[in-house]
Amino acid sequence: MKLLQNSGVPIYQQIADQLRAQILEGKLKEGEYLPSIRGLAKDLKISVITTMKAYEQLEAEGLVTAAPGKGFYVNAQDTEMLKEQHLRKVEEALLEAIHAAEVAGMSAEQLQETLAVLLGMDK
Amino acid sequence: METKSVVKISDVSKKFRGFELSVPKLEIPKGYATALVGENGAGKTTLLNLMAGIRLDYKGEIRYFDRESKLDETVQERLGYVGPGCYFLPHWTAKQVEELSGMLFDHFHRERFRELCEEMNIPTGLSKEVKNLSDGNKVKLMLAAVLARDTELLLMDEPASPLDPLMRDKLCELIRDYLEQGNGEKSVLFSTHNVADMENVTDYLLIMEHGEIVEQGFVEDLKEKYIMVKGESADAERAKDVLFSMSRSSFGFEGLCLAEHLDRLAGMDIALETPTLSQICVAVLKANTKLTFAK
Repeated sequence: MKLLQNSGVPIYQQIADQLRAQILEGKLKEGEYLPSIRGLAKDLKISVITTMKAYEQLEAEGLVTAAPGKGFYVNAQDTEMLKEQHLRKVEEALLEAIHAAEVAGMSAEQLQETLAVLLGMDK
Repeated sequence: METKSVVKISDVSKKFRGFELSVPKLEIPKGYATALVGENGAGKTTLLNLMAGIRLDYKGEIRYFDRESKLDETVQERLGYVGPGCYFLPHWTAKQVEELSGMLFDHFHRERFRELCEEMNIPTGLSKEVKNLSDGNKVKLMLAAVLARDTELLLMDEPASPLDPLMRDKLCELIRDYLEQGNGEKSVLFSTHNVADMENVTDYLLIMEHGEIVEQGFVEDLKEKYIMVKGESADAERAKDVLFSMSRSSFGFEGLCLAEHLDRLAGMDIALETPTLSQICVAVLKANTKLTFAK
């Protein structure tokens, strides 16, 4: 796991993002336990509360479940939810593009045209 | 998130001439590292001394661990203290520190003590007396003696202050190891001025001013409560009334804003950032200080 101190992305977010990717890619499997909160804090040289927050975020997203006294384990990933997660990624990227287009003063039509052209190039 | 507490303080007060420590209610979370930050003379050492049982002449109540025990022998056995004073007699050698710690405490592991002395590279030559150790090495020796015991709560009064940058890093590592071994059962409370050095080992923050706790919370919550705002000079006048703290220059302004007031900055050309622990401490201290700053 790689954590950047000055990337502007909070550390807990970076941990959650990387663990989420590992879960969605199937590297962390259903039923498998995440490292203990304090163990991960020790390994990553960060505070306990930061790892806690990352785990709580994954729990809120339904990716893991907290088992009292035992830690957090990976939930079964149904395909619907996987789709949902990927869809969210696409939406995020598109929102970023929309924002950049606004800054550049592009109209909605120009933006759609650009997307169509790029889609064409991809094929 | 549910948290238990390791120390509960109710209605504690201690009066000195011209200074009063007053803590109506305070709970130190169990299983975490708590940092106590405050100006010189804010009462950090007094508070730690009361908790460690170094001072007993106070009003109010301090309870420890699950069964809410008072400070008795069993509690002392589970409690470790590291501080700036002369904890060991000046003419003791490391060997004598080892002997006496072994006699004083039931769960002192001599082997672990020697390992820790080696790990922290403490000069423990046979005739080397405590008084001839540097301030940094004195703290290291206290750390070794305390960590060689089976404790559940470490109280540390400015452990980082006399330590070099490398040893501060090591101190953070030792604290994380301690918390990890405890798996939620061991807790640490330390006072510090080196907020930045200790940021990556701080879970809970206590800020003290004039004998009172003026702000506290889990670090991740505080970083959502206060937002760093940077903006242009044109908006400075308007922002001044909204921001919690602010500094201005001819180029613009920056300061912390309470997240709940953020919407009052609508329409301004601003950039937002998550504050560091140090920025939060400085802003809260500035809001309460008697120090004067250039306007």
